[in-house]
Amino acid sequence: MTVTGRFVALVALGVVPIVALGRTPGTAALVLGLWLLVVLGAGTLDLALAGSPRTLSLVRSLPARVRLGETVMSDLYLTNTGTRRLRAIVRDGWQPSAGAGNNRTPVLIPPGERRLVSLRLAPSRRGERRVNQVTVRSNGPLGLWARQATLECPGRVRVLPPFNARKHLPSRITRLKELDGRTSLLVRGQGTEFDSLREYVRGDDVRSIDWRATARHSDVMVRTWRPERDRRVVILVDSGRTSAARIDDEPRLDTAFEASLLLAALASRAGDHVDFIAYDRRVRGSVQGAQGTELLSRMVDAMAVIEPELIEMDWSAVPGQIRAVTSQRALVVLVTSIDAAGASTALLSMLPQLTRRHTVVVASVADPTTLLASRRRGNREEVYRAAAAERAMLDVARVSAAIRQQGADVVTAAPADLPPALADRYIALKAAGLL
Amino acid sequence: MTPATNAATAPAMTPAPVAPDAVSSTPTLRAALRRSGFWVAAGAGALLVAIIATAVAGGSASGGPPLAADNAAQAGARALVEVLRNQGVDVTLAGTLEEATAAAARSTDPTLFYFDADGYLTRDRVTRMAGLVSRTVVVDPDFGTLQALAPGVGFGGLAASASRAAGCDIPSAVKAGRLSPGGKTLTIAADASGLTGCFPTGRGAFALVARRDQGRTITLVADTAVFSNDTITRNGNAALALNLLGSSGDLIWYLPTLADVARTGPPSLGELTPGWVTPTLVLLVVVALAAMVWRGRRFGPLVAENLPVTVRASETVEGRARLYARSGARLRAVDALRVGALQRLAGKVGLSRLAGLDEVILAVAAATGRAPGDVRATLVDAVPAGDRDLIALSDQIQDLERATARATTSPPPGRMDL
Repeated sequence: MTVTGRFVALVALGVVPIVALGRTPGTAALVLGLWLLVVLGAGTLDLALAGSPRTLSLVRSLPARVRLGETVMSDLYLTNTGTRRLRAIVRDGWQPSAGAGNNRTPVLIPPGERRLVSLRLAPSRRGERRVNQVTVRSNGPLGLWARQATLECPGRVRVLPPFNARKHLPSRITRLKELDGRTSLLVRGQGTEFDSLREYVRGDDVRSIDWRATARHSDVMVRTWRPERDRRVVILVDSGRTSAARIDDEPRLDTAFEASLLLAALASRAGDHVDFIAYDRRVRGSVQGAQGTELLSRMVDAMAVIEPELIEMDWSAVPGQIRAVTSQRALVVLVTSIDAAGASTALLSMLPQLTRRHTVVVASVADPTTLLASRRRGNREEVYRAAAAERAMLDVARVSAAIRQQGADVVTAAPADLPPALADRYIALKAAGLL
Repeated sequence: MTPATNAATAPAMTPAPVAPDAVSSTPTLRAALRRSGFWVAAGAGALLVAIIATAVAGGSASGGPPLAADNAAQAGARALVEVLRNQGVDVTLAGTLEEATAAAARSTDPTLFYFDADGYLTRDRVTRMAGLVSRTVVVDPDFGTLQALAPGVGFGGLAASASRAAGCDIPSAVKAGRLSPGGKTLTIAADASGLTGCFPTGRGAFALVARRDQGRTITLVADTAVFSNDTITRNGNAALALNLLGSSGDLIWYLPTLADVARTGPPSLGELTPGWVTPTLVLLVVVALAAMVWRGRRFGPLVAENLPVTVRASETVEGRARLYARSGARLRAVDALRVGALQRLAGKVGLSRLAGLDEVILAVAAATGRAPGDVRATLVDAVPAGDRDLIALSDQIQDLERATARATTSPPPGRMDL
């Protein structure tokens, strides 16, 4: 139960009769008492005539998924099953990150009829956004007192990662296509496979002339090659403690997801099998054995609910995880963060186990502010900060050198540049036939 | 709160027109009353017990107005008044001089009992009071009363603790025999006439002084112990009190109150304000309460959400910089700057990252045309003595890097450097 502003104004209006009629304190007090009785009576009458907010049946209609940055309509159908007309204000209890806005909708529902309350949701964070309750405040016909009840009506919408890096996809696919159909002149070697025979044109490498085919045909034929297909790519994202850190106001984990999605889209277009694991001390999400568009949709679905865990990454279990995914030679991409040498010991001691069997790329988000800080040396504080930034960059350089020494490859870039940089490294490996 | 439904029961896109009423998590009035009924009842019971206890305890407390005729506490005088009434004395209570005057006019030859603990009466009114009846008993008179009634009487301080005999010819005192020990006393000046002192305590002090003047008797009793409930039974106190007050059929029990004080000064604020002001203020309080309910009533329960932690990745760099600055680790700081610069310089002059220090210095000196000693001092030898030196050295390192970059990269042909 609650009162409205109109009721407050009505009570305040009692000043008029009290001043007009109350000559002595006694009559004024009498007028005050009578006025309070009148307004209380009117309020009680109003409350008794208000439609019950409990006689509502609610049905929710929600899309299951929305990409972060897009909006979605949350529809709520209210059916008045009572016998009184319901003048109400409805609040749909969405979580704040669902971006439901002001969320106070007036409705007027005659008995037995149904009304739709539509809210435009603009989620501000990926993950699962929930709603559990609908609060209905039913005003009486006089608009003085109101009945209020909170009704249970659960719903949820999954907010997927935005995949902003998809703008880099067309250019990378174009470059991937350029690899196809090249002659052995440029890319022949391990990791390429026979594609087709075609007629010799000037400029082709004479070493790729297929004499047997030439004998069968009336023309000189050459073999063409294309990058090997059906390789395996395993992307392992570190969802541990360090992935919570924000760089350029984006958690490392989200950048890692962007890079993984671009790489997965590219690799699946190139005909490779992509597997995805998010791991810290246990598997937080994994996608295995999916192909094509299903791969991406399953990946964003799995990524949507993964949050950084505030525990240390368990690198010693990673080779086992990779082995569980594939027994073949694969390109293993570890998306993590490269920090001080001490923090990377576990990664470094695990790497030889992986590099013995697989091609390994370690991708890390670099902080562009560190580079900026190392160049600003205006005053005492800035010089010390520059020294600390230099020290941090040296640490990263040392760890990167150690990783390269273990036979793995390192890709570090600022958050916006990491996805295309990783994709480029993949194309380079593909072109070199190193998968 | 129930957990969200799982995906299998997610609502369909086309809702059915009739569905059961939604479950309400807000309790109905009846349910709320049932749930909180015990506590409401317990609170009301506790309040009732407190009120009753206060009422019961208030009656027997030692407080209350002293020597009031209806005060049963220790300081009161109800015992004496009740005994007098049982003996047929008509006791009239008076709160103001006007009431006492009216009572004196109504009865024939009454006795007036007067006790002014708070000194309400002015000297004029004390004189008027003393003139009302022929027998007046004044208890514990203050200085103004003594001046008005018996100028020859003064204060004698507290008596020693021995009980006293009457020592005078006043019948009441003689009948009483001895008074309870201790208490205030009065003295009689040597040149005063018409004054009789009773119950002497030595040094010219008396517990009772009587003044006979033109047929009027004013009896001054120095201490209230003679009349109060807790001490009236001691020694001859009761006999003295009953004999003093019960000598006639009428007794006026006059304890002055605030109403005796003459009202002076301008009218108060309360008299000047119109009658509707106070009710309007009450109404405004009610309006404020209603407005609080109106604005303060929450539109349903709060919605909880787990938010992610926010950790800026640059915090480690910032923290390390503050550590350097606080401990003045200049050499360590400049070392970091030098190592970083050396690695970049090696790259610029075309040496590998693993090239020796001297190689890099010589190559940089050759590229920039500076003396190898200067370059070495900048990159290795110079030790900053203070923060000013540190900043200067950092500038030199940057300058050297820039010079090397200029020397090793030739500007592209046909394009102006901006």
